[in-house]
Amino acid sequence: MEQDWTVKSKLTRFLYRHRGIEGIVYVLPFAALWGVFLAWPVGYGIYLSLFEWNPIKGSRFVGLENYVALFRDVRFLNALANTFKFAAMAVPLILGLGLLFALMLWSWGRTCRGAGFVQAVLFFPYLLTVSTVAITWKWMFDPDFGLVTHAFKALKVPAPVFLTEPAWALPAIAFATAWWLSGYRMVVFQAGLGDIPQELFEVASIDGARFRHKFLHIILPLLKPALLFSLVLTIISAFRTFGQVLMMTEGGPGRSTEVLALYLYWTAFEYFKIGKAAASGVVLLALTLILTLIGVKLLGLKSELQ
Amino acid sequence: MRKIVSLAMGAVLVWGMVALGEVIKIEFNTLFHEADAKAMEEIIDLFNASHTNIQVELIQGRWAQYYAELRLSVIAGTPPQLGICHVNRLVEVADYLTPLEASPVGNLIQIGGINPADFPKATWDAGELAGHHYLIPLDTHGWGLWYNKDIFVAAGLDPDKPPQTMGEFMAACEAIKAAGYYAFHPAEDSLPRKLRRAWEIFFYQMGGGALFDEGYTKATFNNPAGLLALQFLVDIFNNFGWNIVGGNGYNQFTAGRLGMLFAGNWFYPTARDSGVNWGYAKVPNFFGTPYTWGASHQLSVPLQPAGTSPAVYQATMEVARFVVEHSHIWTMSGGHIAANRTALKNPALLSSDYWTRSGHLLDEMIQQGLVKFPINHPRGSELEKAIETYIELAVNGKIAPAAALAQAEAECNKILQGR
Repeated sequence: MEQDWTVKSKLTRFLYRHRGIEGIVYVLPFAALWGVFLAWPVGYGIYLSLFEWNPIKGSRFVGLENYVALFRDVRFLNALANTFKFAAMAVPLILGLGLLFALMLWSWGRTCRGAGFVQAVLFFPYLLTVSTVAITWKWMFDPDFGLVTHAFKALKVPAPVFLTEPAWALPAIAFATAWWLSGYRMVVFQAGLGDIPQELFEVASIDGARFRHKFLHIILPLLKPALLFSLVLTIISAFRTFGQVLMMTEGGPGRSTEVLALYLYWTAFEYFKIGKAAASGVVLLALTLILTLIGVKLLGLKSELQ
Repeated sequence: MRKIVSLAMGAVLVWGMVALGEVIKIEFNTLFHEADAKAMEEIIDLFNASHTNIQVELIQGRWAQYYAELRLSVIAGTPPQLGICHVNRLVEVADYLTPLEASPVGNLIQIGGINPADFPKATWDAGELAGHHYLIPLDTHGWGLWYNKDIFVAAGLDPDKPPQTMGEFMAACEAIKAAGYYAFHPAEDSLPRKLRRAWEIFFYQMGGGALFDEGYTKATFNNPAGLLALQFLVDIFNNFGWNIVGGNGYNQFTAGRLGMLFAGNWFYPTARDSGVNWGYAKVPNFFGTPYTWGASHQLSVPLQPAGTSPAVYQATMEVARFVVEHSHIWTMSGGHIAANRTALKNPALLSSDYWTRSGHLLDEMIQQGLVKFPINHPRGSELEKAIETYIELAVNGKIAPAAALAQAEAECNKILQGR
């Protein structure tokens, strides 16, 4: 017993003297998981990108050759451009729809009958897997049997062949992606709207403010944290878009929908050029990081992040 | 003598394991899905039910990433004991496979009691590369002409006489179109690789020669035959009015809206269950020789980690032999034509619905040497992707056929030059 007491006392004294260690101990489990499942793979990916990787015959260190080859590859540059085009279409669409749905439900108020049901319907697509979404929309856009095609025909408007027309394929995938992801953004925005004090709207109404004014001067500024969170999340998912493109068009027609993640996939898993694929993964990581930081800077939310 | 010794040693090892009550687990990875996945499952279930000392775990992966998974599993030191390899992909993955005649435990072909004479010589020889033998033939598969008999009747055509010449085919298409149906779809579900396969059929039929020169130093498909073949494919969708760009042939056929469809033998279960009154014919002779597109699945033993027990190799080969000997099930349920001669004579297969309605015709095309296999190059996937990208654009009317072939040729040459 005396020995236990001594050990306990020593430990207590040690922790008292080195109070910072306690925090480290709390963080340790998460840090270990983060290290194993995130930092190490990212680090190893960067390391692989410097090699012509072939463990069977022997890998060869090539320095930055894979990066040089990437930026000389017309297909990679096309994929890069498609990724930006897709993000430019999908991010505003996802956020815009999410915000629209949130405002619609918010203006109806919690007491309105059926609001919960509408919210559930709008959120539901987010629960689906990417393959379900892709197959559903591939059918929706089918030139023979698709509902979208039939809707156009009903309106006596010639329907574009969405997934085989280069000009339409990427917007069609962006639309399907917005249908899938906007429900979650809606919930985030609803939470943000719920935090805005009602008094502000009452005062604004007394001052004769219309909805436009309230939206620009009350809602948008106070919704900034929710906007930032959604923006970062949406940019990341737009740049990593893969499953819906693979399943809906396989990057076609031609290469008009081949985005970076799909290029990476072909390079790694079809052509087995792991070094080059790792290099394109590093470029994708860098891009996502830069754009996220730009988003934070533009919204002026550095203090909120801190 | 060596064969007898090897067999005896293997038998002793397996007997030893059984005597010790140990079950050997064999992992078998495939890239099959839908009907052929079910067929392979049926064979493996049969094996597991009839063997107490060996149990096979069947893992049926995604077609597109199968070869990457195969290579990565070898690198990680956790390969499956048995795998599948398309015969044309051997050149890409040979470094990751066990040379069967020179494995660490001896000649696996002899150990497994597999007789090369049980297979067509060309199919068996296709598993050889740089003096080593890597593969055991499972099947040959390929495209044929599926047609809707009811639509034929509605169009005033004889449902028991599918078109077999260009003249008959053109007349049939026009009659079907006039009856208000889609006349023909040349490429299953219109995926880029399917459009390329359709173009290859027309290209080979026109006597276009090989797609690449003998040493794979340059593309040779950008020739008059290649251009005419592509023009014909483009016209099907854009000029003849036989189908529409982006139309899915599988869906059109099963919905009873398509007269004729080029599709693989794997379409059999879908056609059978669709309720469509279908018929099957050989690919018509459009341009000279009635070639069709096809390939061959073969069994392979991925490179095993050093120290793998001889009993595991022995058990693996036992499974491989069982699979090829029971490949009549593979043909009946999956539609692929078994490579094993004995399996192909199985009475149950010969009297099956599949064989009598379509299988025997595909087999005839195979026996007549009319099935053209895909290209065989270490960067074959990249070359095929380059070709199909531009073929798709031509079919969609975005570039002229001549420009499509020129661009595909330039891209293939770049790949062949290692750029």
